[in-house]
Amino acid sequence: MRNRGLTSLAIIATVTVVALAAVAVRVMTTGASTAEPAAAAWTASRTADGQPDLQGIWTNYDSTPFEIFDAGDKPGLYSGDPDGTARGTGPASFPNDVTGRKLVPRKSLVVDPPNGRVPIMPWAEERRNYALAHIADSWEYQTTWERCITRGVPGGLFPTGYGSGYQILQTPGYVMILYEMIHEARIIPLDGRPHVGPALRLWNGDSRGHWEGNTLVVDVTNYNDKGSVATNAASQRVRAIPQSEALHAIERFTRIDENTIDYQVTIEDPKVFTTPWTASMTLNREPDYQMFEYACHEGNQAMPNTLSAGRAKDTARPATRTQ
Amino acid sequence: MRTSLFMAGAAAAMLAGGAPLAAHHAFSAEFDGTRPVTLKGKVTKMEWINPHAWLHMEVRGPDGKVISWAVEGGAPNALLRRGWNRNSVPLGTEIVVEGFRAKDGSNRANGRDVTLANGTKLFLGSSGTGAPADGRDSAEPRK
Repeated sequence: MRNRGLTSLAIIATVTVVALAAVAVRVMTTGASTAEPAAAAWTASRTADGQPDLQGIWTNYDSTPFEIFDAGDKPGLYSGDPDGTARGTGPASFPNDVTGRKLVPRKSLVVDPPNGRVPIMPWAEERRNYALAHIADSWEYQTTWERCITRGVPGGLFPTGYGSGYQILQTPGYVMILYEMIHEARIIPLDGRPHVGPALRLWNGDSRGHWEGNTLVVDVTNYNDKGSVATNAASQRVRAIPQSEALHAIERFTRIDENTIDYQVTIEDPKVFTTPWTASMTLNREPDYQMFEYACHEGNQAMPNTLSAGRAKDTARPATRTQ
Repeated sequence: MRTSLFMAGAAAAMLAGGAPLAAHHAFSAEFDGTRPVTLKGKVTKMEWINPHAWLHMEVRGPDGKVISWAVEGGAPNALLRRGWNRNSVPLGTEIVVEGFRAKDGSNRANGRDVTLANGTKLFLGSSGTGAPADGRDSAEPRK
């Protein structure tokens, strides 16, 4: 197991070096603008009302690790396996999408701070570690994803292994993003209206958008303090870190070619993170992808089964119970 | 086309090395990696539901008694990407499922391989839940 882990690390390290080299070559090539006239010729198409066109079906399968790995990380715990009997989980392994496009893994989704590590306050990690070690004790210790509530904003756009489809529609004055996972629609007004009042606290916050050139900038505030910035195991150490009402996310969607939207999100929550941090990833156009209605609660057998597994463990250890 | 898609998916997963997929819940919260089980019987229902598909089957024991089992699989969209479709296991199909038993002792299991009578194998697993690395998950590293 340990050898496998080391081998995996070695593979990841090798892939990372190769990927970084590829990126470096691409950057250098792009810098010499005369070398790639075709790339310079691409311009974003517009919707009827003049918005840069982001519409279509997009997916974001991505095998890039969320953070740069640290020896102190506890992948077993983050994936809900505190006993260490399982093999842990990592980033979603989709080097290619179904159209065969190569998806180049990068060093980490976290691009700022430059060390690729999210500046999580110790209290938040401790609270999360306790919760994940007790997921079979109560639904309260499970993430909002496992409870079929939401993967959150921006967490709903973080890569995972399946159900990673998104549909973007634009109408005059609005952008709508439909998330396949848990079946959520974000309706983002573009008319400059202010955020809702501070008394209103929302699972996914209150989104307000505007265009800066070809970039859709979405400002999200008014969160409740019940959710998490990230919920799925591919988010590794950031999984299930609690969010506070002070959470503020700034998302930037830029269509950089026909098949790619560059997505960047800067997250600040001064009660949870010591500094703001930024993650970067792509949405890849996949017009033939079909999204299913998610219907999560109806099929969420994992919830009762996990809790009944916990009760079976209690019964097997009567000495630990009080009279 | 279907076969080529499945093969492409398997190849892609192998190339990815030790980076399993991420699933809705943790394997070890619900299933016991030390209790593998092999189930032989007929498909009675295939539930194409999120966040995990469930395959139901009837298993005849040595004493002739028929017992119902429920087997968890990957999400519908994950199974479709691997080559599964609505015709993969019609009702009444004789199958062999290899998986791991539920920790609460009920007749539930986390499915891994499904083998049809003609020898065809379909990977049912909900990859990345942390199931033991037994070499059958195409998302696992190959030696």
